[in-house]
Amino acid sequence: MDLTNLLYGLLHPDPTHSGFFLLHQTLCGALAAAGFGVLFNIGFRSLPWCAVSGALALAVRTYCLGLGWNLEAASFAAALIVGAAVQVLRARADISQNALDVTGCIPMVPGSFAAKAILGMFALTTASPADASGTLITAVQYALRVTFTIGAIGTGLAIPTLLLRVRVSR
Amino acid sequence: MDNIESLIPEDSGSAPALEPIAMVALDAGRMLMEAGASANGVDEIVAQFARGLGADRVDLRIGYASLAVTIGIGPNGITRMREVGHLGVNQRLDQELWHLAARVARGGLTPQQTRAELTRLATKTPRHSAWVMAVAVGLACAAFGRLLGVDWLGTGPVFLAAGIGQLVRRELLTRHVNVFICASLVSFLSSLLGGLGAHWAHSNTISTAMIASILLLVPGIPSVNAQNDILEGHPTLGSARAVTVAVILIFAAAGLWLGQVLLARSFGI
Repeated sequence: MDLTNLLYGLLHPDPTHSGFFLLHQTLCGALAAAGFGVLFNIGFRSLPWCAVSGALALAVRTYCLGLGWNLEAASFAAALIVGAAVQVLRARADISQNALDVTGCIPMVPGSFAAKAILGMFALTTASPADASGTLITAVQYALRVTFTIGAIGTGLAIPTLLLRVRVSR
Repeated sequence: MDNIESLIPEDSGSAPALEPIAMVALDAGRMLMEAGASANGVDEIVAQFARGLGADRVDLRIGYASLAVTIGIGPNGITRMREVGHLGVNQRLDQELWHLAARVARGGLTPQQTRAELTRLATKTPRHSAWVMAVAVGLACAAFGRLLGVDWLGTGPVFLAAGIGQLVRRELLTRHVNVFICASLVSFLSSLLGGLGAHWAHSNTISTAMIASILLLVPGIPSVNAQNDILEGHPTLGSARAVTVAVILIFAAAGLWLGQVLLARSFGI
């Protein structure tokens, strides 16, 4: 495969062409995690680790979605693997665990679903909403997906931490 | 957890020795919480500071807006409370606080020296410049947009709209504008700019570009912290965080809705 084909595949990823699509999602996950790392005031030296964390999260989630898993299950698997990897990596990265695993999972937080769910609720409050029952069901579906996906991410991140952390003796 | 029989009522005569330890430990916990840590992190760092400075017993209560600690040395005890400010995210400060906690835990630092170190961290820990943050947030939202299916023509406008939104957000927060109002204003501005830019760039994904432009406002760390806190035995703090996250999302969605209505009325988008 020459460079032109590789670039074309990356710029026009086809979900049915799993290799390019996986690479595209992974790179976007890395960029989003590193960008949010700057927003969270992570130092430049540690940003590559955030990018790795985000790339890993999106790679696992995209792979699992490709296997036919739903978004919630795929997000849970990705968060679980990122949480476990961060437990191994954090000593080397010299960065707090919270920063590394949460930043890596930020690209998976379903912010667009949350916005669509609330906009759907707003639409229901107009004087005469068109297709009120359809709008309500769609809004509730988005709200449930947001809740379950955030729950899946939080649980996936918490399990390795709860299993592997040694608590300070009181 | 100590047995109830071993706890001695507060002895005001011991306050001069215990007071600095309690207040320094509370300040370390407050700074860590304001830097975006979960409840367990705050619990651990307060225990490390207090024990490193000589306390035998440490019990902490963590609220959304305050911390209260009881520390004891021998038969004496003291309880103090400290207000917690706006819960932001500052990972470099978080990291520096843990480094300091490790030094304190090894012993050799007095409460006064530790207080001076905390003051130094609060004032000297560097932050990225506003422009670096704006570019980084623009890139992150553009990448988010690609993940959501925004076409390449819409990616540039998302980058610009989110970057400008971040500059405005930072300016508003510097002026102590309420965080919820700030979320609405930034959401309105960014979605409007993202939608207009995508329209002028002939993008086919204008609506998604508008949503991608406001994703800088999604409170990712608080939402994950909320769940962590509940899972780790702090349901009141976790619930308070979850409510705050929900209200921020509602205010951000209100700004987005206003942007969509304005674009629809003015440009028929």
